[in-house]
Amino acid sequence: MQISFLIHNAYGIGGTIRTTYNLANTLAEQHDVEIVSVLRHREEPVFARNPRVRLRHLVDLRKGSPGYEGDDPEHLKPARVFPKGEIRYEQYSALTDRRIAGHLSTVDADVVVGTRPGLNVHLARETRRGPARVGQEHLTLDSHSVGLRTELRGAYPRLDAVTTTTEADATAYRTKMRLPGVRVEAVPNSVPAPGIEPADGTGKWVVAAGRLAPVKRYDLLIRAFDLVRAERPDWRLRIYGSGKQKDKLRHLIDELGLYNHVLLMGAANPIEPEWAKGSIAAVTSSLESFGMTIVEAMRCGLPVVSTDCPHGPGEIIDNGVDGRLVPVGNVQAIAGGLLELINDDALRRQMADAALKDSERFDPSRIAERYESIFNGLVSRGGTSKIGRVRGSLHRTRGALLGSAYAVRDAGLTVFGKERSA
Amino acid sequence: MMTLAPQTAQTPTDEDAAMPPRADCLADSAGGLTFDVAETGESGDTHLVLVHRDGLQEVRLPLAPAADGRLRAALPSGVALPEGRWDAFAQTGDGEPRRLTPGLNDLRSLVDRVPSGARGHVAVRIPYATKHGNLSIRSWLRAPHAEAGELHIGEGTLGVHGQVYGVALTPDAYVEPAGREETRPAPRFEIHRDQALFRFTVDYTALPEGVWDLWLRPAGESGPRVRIARLLDDIADKKPIFTYPKVTVDTAHGPVTAGPYYTGDNDLSITVTPTTP
Repeated sequence: MQISFLIHNAYGIGGTIRTTYNLANTLAEQHDVEIVSVLRHREEPVFARNPRVRLRHLVDLRKGSPGYEGDDPEHLKPARVFPKGEIRYEQYSALTDRRIAGHLSTVDADVVVGTRPGLNVHLARETRRGPARVGQEHLTLDSHSVGLRTELRGAYPRLDAVTTTTEADATAYRTKMRLPGVRVEAVPNSVPAPGIEPADGTGKWVVAAGRLAPVKRYDLLIRAFDLVRAERPDWRLRIYGSGKQKDKLRHLIDELGLYNHVLLMGAANPIEPEWAKGSIAAVTSSLESFGMTIVEAMRCGLPVVSTDCPHGPGEIIDNGVDGRLVPVGNVQAIAGGLLELINDDALRRQMADAALKDSERFDPSRIAERYESIFNGLVSRGGTSKIGRVRGSLHRTRGALLGSAYAVRDAGLTVFGKERSA
Repeated sequence: MMTLAPQTAQTPTDEDAAMPPRADCLADSAGGLTFDVAETGESGDTHLVLVHRDGLQEVRLPLAPAADGRLRAALPSGVALPEGRWDAFAQTGDGEPRRLTPGLNDLRSLVDRVPSGARGHVAVRIPYATKHGNLSIRSWLRAPHAEAGELHIGEGTLGVHGQVYGVALTPDAYVEPAGREETRPAPRFEIHRDQALFRFTVDYTALPEGVWDLWLRPAGESGPRVRIARLLDDIADKKPIFTYPKVTVDTAHGPVTAGPYYTGDNDLSITVTPTTP
């Protein structure tokens, strides 16, 4: 199979970029794979790429490069196809519109994969007849603005498949969007086995990792650790990550007198050796669209104590078997979950073993197989036969009409409604 | 945060040649380090070269073929590595040394490390990424050593808990703050000792304004002066991570703000500055 990924910027750092490389690198062992990056702002990608994966860009934003296009007048004009409700809208332009359309109208592939809603809209509208169109959702439907959801209702019926990272989000797509003939599948993000030995469970450290952002609720974790310290002053907490909450969290640590017990470690890269220094991982978020750090910690042999927040944790952790789910926003419950594992060495080791085993299902090879099976299904459905093609395009026409009907209903909600029938 | 794919022995291409070589570092609890790098594909013996920032000292370690087409060098705890920052390079034959970048640094055995101190010294080597993203090694060699542990901020006081290595604490032991610019005799703080463990309390009001470095005199005036430092873990630069609240104290010369901090060498010091109203 020839598989072509379309991504915002393959040269940056972020969850979607990392998981796209994981998937593309693995698929490339069996298939012909390319990653097309809309933007390119630096010379080399940050993440390791299988040399078999071809990588190219559509718009060059490397400052000082002879091909620099950041000052191109067309790039200064707003985008019309890329949806306005997308958080990345400001980075798109008439130039990206034209280049993406040019790429999709000639793309030489059996499957085209979009990696964010705005690009999925391009895919739905502009991919030449033939390749199967797969739109990935790496966040969640509910996290999008009303304007963007309306836009997606208009375009997504023309996709062949939508993938989400959780079953919860797949259910949201199936029930809140009308997507006749579009396969909606939950495929979790992949996490490779760490290149180091798993944690041995002897270190008296709890480890957390993520951006120091309000949604991560590290304030709750620090308060919970105050309760942990009262009972087990021999255990300590490391929080890896940087972000705007740092000063606030620092202040809270000092106010509670936890400066010997809670360390703000700053960003760590790679993170695997840091997980391996701990014996328990903690996640106290109010929302996790997937929960990549939970899987990372489990792959390093740590049982995770996590809030049972939407959407991912409950689908990753088998409560009481390979980790512990606790109610969202409850300091006592978080402390209780941590102390349960701190105070019972045997239980902690048993859960650590289970975490290692259970997290194998997120291995890139397994996740690539899931995608492979979805792609195969779509390619044989769309097929290369004439009948298959006609059927495929009929489904798209019908989908497009239904999408328009939805769009009309939603038109009052958004000023972007008019563009829908294009 | 990202995942680095393991570097396997691939045929080097032009693009690979442009990429700086990456070293994975494994630390053992005795203070030894092992470095793994991918085969260079060039002919000739390859060495790991550690160059001290003073530009004068250099340590060369052979990189020998190990499993999976990788090269391995060992820096055992017994090989002395003078104190300081060492930049890591790989050099094949008499070719140009290439700066190494950090891969996976597995330093778990350094966390909560308790060395024996039996040889009378403590050797610490912590690999770290420089701000330019290169691999360097921070080394300490202390004979003897006084390790700072928990600090307790009181009202106008600082409590310090620690442990000595390679020296015994006698009944004459005390702590001596040394002022960076201060020439007047400094106060002494008595210590409570429990075998190798010690604790003492600094009364901030006894310290004039300035920066005060904390020294331990384990055998009193006649014995060695030992700088109190925090070295025994996996964190190369303590200053931004181990931070402590400052407190305001009234003195005969007006209110001052005082607090402990770790220096660029991870030594424990105290600042006392006039409180700005």
